[in-house]
Amino acid sequence: MNQIPEIPENKSKRDFLQWVLAGGATAFLGAVLYPVFAYLIPPKQAEVEVSSVKAGKLSEMEKESGKIIKFGTKPVILIRTANDEVRAFSATCTHLDCTVQFRKDFGMIWCACHNGKYDLNGRNISGPPPRPLDEFRVVIQGDEILISKKT
Amino acid sequence: MKTHLQRIYSWIDERVELQGLVEYMGKKYVPVHRHSIWYYFGGVSLFLFIIQVVTGILLLLYYKSGEELAFESINFIMSKVQFGWLIRSIHSWTANLFIFSAMIHMFSVFFEKAYRKPREITWVTGMLMFFLALGFGFSGYLLPWNELAFFATKVGTDIAGVVPIIGKPLMIFLRSGEEVTGATLSRFFGFHVAVLPGLFTVFLSIHLLLVQRQGMSEPLHIGKESERKTMPFFPNFILRDITLWLLVLNLLAILAVFFPWELGKKAEAFASAPAGIKPEWYFLCLFQTLKYIPGKLWFLDGEILGVILFGIAGLLWTMVPFWDRKSSRGEQNRFVNYIGLFAVIYIIIFTIIGWLA
Amino acid sequence: MKRRIFLFTATLIAVLASRESALANDTCFECHRNTEDKPSALFLHDIHHDKGITCAGCHGGNSKAEEMEQAMDKKAGFIGVPKGDDISKACAACHSSPEKMKSLGSSLPTNQWEFLQTSVHAKLSLNGKEHIAQCATCHNSHGIVSVKNPSSPVYPLNVIKTCTQCHANITLIKSYNPSLPVDQLEKYRTSVHGMRNAKGDPKTAECASCHGSHDIRSAKDVKSKVYASNLPGTCAACHSNAEYMKAYKIPTDQYEKYAKSVHGIALLQKHDAGAPACNSCHGNHGAAPPGVESVSKVCGTCHALNADLFSSSPHKKAFDQRQLPECETCHSNHDIIAATDKLLGVAPEAICSQCHNETQNVKGYQVAKKMRGLIDSLEAVEKRDQELVYEAEQKGMEISEAKFSLRDVRQARLQSRTAIHAFNEEKFAEVINNGLKTSASIAMESESAIHEYYFRRIGLAIATLIITLVALFLFLYVRRLEKKQTK
Repeated sequence: MNQIPEIPENKSKRDFLQWVLAGGATAFLGAVLYPVFAYLIPPKQAEVEVSSVKAGKLSEMEKESGKIIKFGTKPVILIRTANDEVRAFSATCTHLDCTVQFRKDFGMIWCACHNGKYDLNGRNISGPPPRPLDEFRVVIQGDEILISKKT
Repeated sequence: MKTHLQRIYSWIDERVELQGLVEYMGKKYVPVHRHSIWYYFGGVSLFLFIIQVVTGILLLLYYKSGEELAFESINFIMSKVQFGWLIRSIHSWTANLFIFSAMIHMFSVFFEKAYRKPREITWVTGMLMFFLALGFGFSGYLLPWNELAFFATKVGTDIAGVVPIIGKPLMIFLRSGEEVTGATLSRFFGFHVAVLPGLFTVFLSIHLLLVQRQGMSEPLHIGKESERKTMPFFPNFILRDITLWLLVLNLLAILAVFFPWELGKKAEAFASAPAGIKPEWYFLCLFQTLKYIPGKLWFLDGEILGVILFGIAGLLWTMVPFWDRKSSRGEQNRFVNYIGLFAVIYIIIFTIIGWLA
Repeated sequence: MKRRIFLFTATLIAVLASRESALANDTCFECHRNTEDKPSALFLHDIHHDKGITCAGCHGGNSKAEEMEQAMDKKAGFIGVPKGDDISKACAACHSSPEKMKSLGSSLPTNQWEFLQTSVHAKLSLNGKEHIAQCATCHNSHGIVSVKNPSSPVYPLNVIKTCTQCHANITLIKSYNPSLPVDQLEKYRTSVHGMRNAKGDPKTAECASCHGSHDIRSAKDVKSKVYASNLPGTCAACHSNAEYMKAYKIPTDQYEKYAKSVHGIALLQKHDAGAPACNSCHGNHGAAPPGVESVSKVCGTCHALNADLFSSSPHKKAFDQRQLPECETCHSNHDIIAATDKLLGVAPEAICSQCHNETQNVKGYQVAKKMRGLIDSLEAVEKRDQELVYEAEQKGMEISEAKFSLRDVRQARLQSRTAIHAFNEEKFAEVINNGLKTSASIAMESESAIHEYYFRRIGLAIATLIITLVALFLFLYVRRLEKKQTK
């Protein structure tokens, strides 16, 4: 009684029902899992489109110094060189997305994670970085430094 | 294909002796009689609890606790996350259906006297889970940090505060301070996702283990052994269970789409209470009773009296297997039936009055 | 007719007779006249003297007594020279009594004293005992003549001097109200009213014409004739009177036009006291508000951005060359109605088309056409967005963010209506495009919300179908299983 008896003459009908049940169960799983997996995808946050940011005052920046500026959600490194040029590059290292820094002693942009080095034109010159840093446009209005995306 | 499955089965069987369990399950029978329908509500409650666990975990992926974040994160879930509205609505609706189904389960067990020896522990763990479920409802209600929840929590913890001696410290413990604040929210969040689920799981394991071990209780008034009908637990009862679960899931989906759970307005600590704040329906009868008890009774404060009475009633109800000796001896106990009937009618009437008020 | 002549003669005889007898008995006047003091000399030409009122009429005492002690006996009611508020009370004894005034044959109103009590002059006081102005302050004490008499201090040509006796006195005014200016006369003389008044035209407005005579209230008092919402009516009392203004050959429909204008509606119907009244553009005492060279520049004091933009626009030069007033040319003056987009464009009702058409000033014609197209399209998308957001809301979808952004679209449209004053296609298009961009994202959001609504229902239908079918087949399966088991 505890063993389900096999009844061969009913085989085709049973197969049909089982087939339908299996299909239904699959569809059901789909109906349940689709919303769950869709839910797991993080929704795109409306990113505020930043075309330019104020990066502070030129007079407050020493020669041969650099600082990290928030450009939307991404960091940008602003550098004032020894011969008084102001440049800006993406501060995200092209190697593994660490944030780079200005090293006065090297006179270079340096990434602490894997000793990657870039020159003051953003070119990768030493270490693992595979390509140069993206350059940003710098406009100086009076004393105000404005950084914008290069188009 | 089949051979592959068999191979995997025997691989596991060799290590954990699955065969014994399968044989045990195969030998398990569920009695069939005119009250069999009530057996299904335990399963439905279990299914709803599983849904709560799954949707709860999903909500946890986006929910942010904290005064400044809670409301916004739920709003984010409902408007930005794909199917977020569905998950949240299902979680909220299931919470209500769960308590409803647990209540049916509890009363059916009560009237069938299924709590009698040897199932006292099953009954007590069930009751404890029911109280935890109320705790789940109460703590979960605050998490969206909306106006209604804020004031419902204020009132609810106030009531807890009138319990003699331990009331005041209890209230401060619940609120994490004198007032309902962001700290309360953090605390309730902790209760809701860690403390309560942990306790619940322990009781649920004991409860299920005992049900499997002892089988379904049969009502006292069932005839002789030879006339009794049964059905195999596996697969018959399980498949019937699953069929019902699917229908419940259907109901939930319809409720979630056509009656999406609203979020309301964000709670403001200093805003005046909105008109018509009501607790969740399962607290309504308690709430309404407290309203009817006069402010001063004899030398006791009315509210204190109410809280004490409910406490005693809850305790007696939970302890029914221990004082209902007759049922354990297999005798009819009409007195218990009358008490149960009174409780059901009382709850229905006061819930309706509370709802209409 | 005969009857009337008779009546007139009879009255005349009666009056003359009574006067004769009264004067004959006024011993006070006779003695004072003999001492040749100033009051009695002045009183000789006083209207009250003409009417037969004796010195005792104001000063009390017995004017028939021969002896001085008797005449000036306090028991007989002699009060000497009245001081402070008593002066006005003495006047009011007759002037507030219609019966007495009637018995003296006067048709003057009798409410002056009552009015004076409500006026700022009777409310303010320096020492707390007497108020600022008494009747005699403006009307003199002895030698009072009718207001119609050119020698009266309150005759239209003399009022200015009478009022400024105090109001141009900085030390005096300061003691009452330090913030009250004292240069009204100076400004008044620069105005058309002031210039005509100086030339001897009694019909033009002087102080009392606008401020009232006895019931002068502070300009901040809502009952004041010069309170913002009352002022247009005060000006219109003369300027809308075609008969009165006939000689000046200026239109008399300003009030009528103003009342229908956006400013008039705001002030007179919506009671917005900040809305401009006549004086806001034409000045209070002077000809134009302070720091404004001409009335046509006044608009910019409130509509600053529009005026700024206009000043840097190509129209500035073109208008100046043609001597066209800046704002008025398009918006008119008294009947300025709320500007609509209809003003823009090349349709016959559009203002632009007055100068720009297909053959004349063609560039402006094309730009106007384009600009109108832009603002029309912004308006159209705003309307569409509103409908979409409404629909999504009706369907119970969470759309509050898009709804909030709708404000930005509206703002862009309103901004464009200001930006138009630069008459620069590029600047205008920038503002409009900002709005169009926001609008597009609103439309997308609300459309996807509406789409989501249907998606949910279809999804539910599919899911329910699957679940129901699975449940059904499962049930059938169990049934069959059980049938086999019982076999």
